Amino acid sequence: MLSLLRSPKPTFKHMLIGDWLTIIFSVMLTAYLFQTLWSHEHASKVQIRIGDKVYAAYDLNQQRDIKVHGAIGDAVIHISQGKVRFSKSPCHNQYCVHQGWLTRSGQAAICLPNQISLELIGEQKPYDSLNY
Amino acid sequence: MRKWPISLIAIAIFAMAIAGISALKQEPLYHTQSYVFGTLVDISIYGEPEERAKQLANQVLQDFQNLHNQLHAWKPASSNQPSELGTLNTAFANGNKPINISPQLATMLIDATDLSVKSQGLFNPAIGHLVSSWGFQRDEFTAVNIDDTKIQALVKANPRMTDIVVKDNTAYSTNPNVKLDLGGYAKGYALDKAAEYLRNQQVKNALVNIGGNIIALGQHGNQPWRVGIQHPRKPAAIAALDLADGWAVGTSGDYQRYFTLNGKRYCHIIDPNSGYPVQHTQSVTVLIPPQKNAGVLSDVASKPIFITVAEDKARTAAMLGIQYFMVIDQKSNIVVSNALAHKLEWLDPEVKKNSHVKLVTLP
Amino acid sequence: MQIQTTIDDHRIAKLAAFAIALHMVEAVIPSPLPGVKPGIANIVTLYVLLKYDFATAAWVSILRVFASSLLLGQFMSPTFALSLSGALLSLGTLWAAQHLPKRYFSAITLSILAAFAHIAGQLIVVRLWLIPHASVSYLIPIFATAALFFGLINGLITAKLLYNKTQLLESDKTEHGST
Repeated sequence: MLSLLRSPKPTFKHMLIGDWLTIIFSVMLTAYLFQTLWSHEHASKVQIRIGDKVYAAYDLNQQRDIKVHGAIGDAVIHISQGKVRFSKSPCHNQYCVHQGWLTRSGQAAICLPNQISLELIGEQKPYDSLNY
Repeated sequence: MRKWPISLIAIAIFAMAIAGISALKQEPLYHTQSYVFGTLVDISIYGEPEERAKQLANQVLQDFQNLHNQLHAWKPASSNQPSELGTLNTAFANGNKPINISPQLATMLIDATDLSVKSQGLFNPAIGHLVSSWGFQRDEFTAVNIDDTKIQALVKANPRMTDIVVKDNTAYSTNPNVKLDLGGYAKGYALDKAAEYLRNQQVKNALVNIGGNIIALGQHGNQPWRVGIQHPRKPAAIAALDLADGWAVGTSGDYQRYFTLNGKRYCHIIDPNSGYPVQHTQSVTVLIPPQKNAGVLSDVASKPIFITVAEDKARTAAMLGIQYFMVIDQKSNIVVSNALAHKLEWLDPEVKKNSHVKLVTLP
Repeated sequence: MQIQTTIDDHRIAKLAAFAIALHMVEAVIPSPLPGVKPGIANIVTLYVLLKYDFATAAWVSILRVFASSLLLGQFMSPTFALSLSGALLSLGTLWAAQHLPKRYFSAITLSILAAFAHIAGQLIVVRLWLIPHASVSYLIPIFATAALFFGLINGLITAKLLYNKTQLLESDKTEHGST
């Protein structure tokens, strides 16, 4: 058995057709995993902050309404198909609602009176802070 | 044992890949966001242990809150006591008897007056009454009935910073129509103070953002701090640029504080000469190289450029010593100074496609 | 008191010892991320499966997991749980896959499938217990690549050992007296 330690360099001559199929399938599976889990284009989550605390981060790959309670009242945040927006807000000017859909990493919408902010986070933000 | 090298090489490759990824996860970056100073404040501190960074950030936020209380341009509905500025404004309205002010406020007034004169009165913090009649001295803005007579009267009253006499930590005004609103100055001042404090505390790398005005200290690790510039009409950045040590950037825009009436937008930047909000410009961004009052300039300098008409904007910038600026007008046309254009990376797909960006060289 | 041992017991013990030794050697090599290891002890498991039977391979594998963790002082630790879950799922997969037609599928296929099953078992434990956070999904592609790569290499090694019959079969025959 100790001869295992003296094993020579492996060659491909033992590969059968089924083995090649397995390898091809595995490569495809791995590539697919990289694609879906390491996607760079779209942001994957929205981070909701209320006041100075992070309230939660939600995956964008779902369809849901989230109700959050801010400084002046309840707001509704709508997630759908990889995008997010304020759909309802108790603020007077509704600037946050008018910001519309956030789709890319780094984009943000803020409701100043209600002290709620939405920010899309992916793996890498295109910038550290936003000047506005 | 020839099988070992393969495994070792594979391990080495994976080790490098994973080290790279772990490096991304283990940054010594502290970041906090808070609602202070009546706006959103973002502080990033790099390279300090978390506890210390937290303490430093909290102190900065506390200082902001104190400054906010001191300089509040109108009495907040919740508190009973007016701010120091509010008290001063009342004194101004009641006559020209000098009242005591803090040395800090005295310095601010002198500095603001200096800048006002330099901008030929376009930067004019003394027009508080005008700002208030347009309804912008409130927490939320609604449309107001435009009373042209009243506005003309306020314009004619001609309140100016030079009407204020500051001496030995006292101040009075020769014009009772002066009402101070340091909204276009305070954020910049706070930025400078924060930078000074952090530097005194031996912080080498930080990024402070008060309501959009940003000042940078050091770098973000191995790379400079990167800052995005808000698109005036979309929830996205129109461009990005690196902010090196000591540089500051500020933008005045018509998209943060405004109301709409009969389809027209009325923003909070008011032309002291006409008494009306500016409507020909969407945003002005200025980039300030390192200097003692970089923060203040990043706040103040964008306003005069915002107010003047398109043909005069470059001249106004030159007058204020602003080399790096960008203007986006009401039709979304972009004009950038050459110097700033070299630093910008355009992010907006429409801008990248059409390239309807006009470059200007300063006179 | 003496426990009666059979020849099979001896064989299992010897093979398990070898697998444990390989595991130990590998444990000494630092890996930047737990879970990304060449898994050379699995060569023994696979070899045993194809040369003897599933029961023997299962014994060898489980013994290896338990003994290694005891020797490394990791018994009942999260590392042990990861090792066990990986081994169990991997064995289950081998049990099913061993019936694949030998004409088309060799040890290489089995090794790759077992490797993927192994990381799957580990990731399930990680996700459900150790790091219950969605960010674990960032690790999955890395582990998958490792499974593919090392599964292939280990499979090739095992195939070489198995199908180059000459020396090994002889030495095995003299050692154990029978097959």
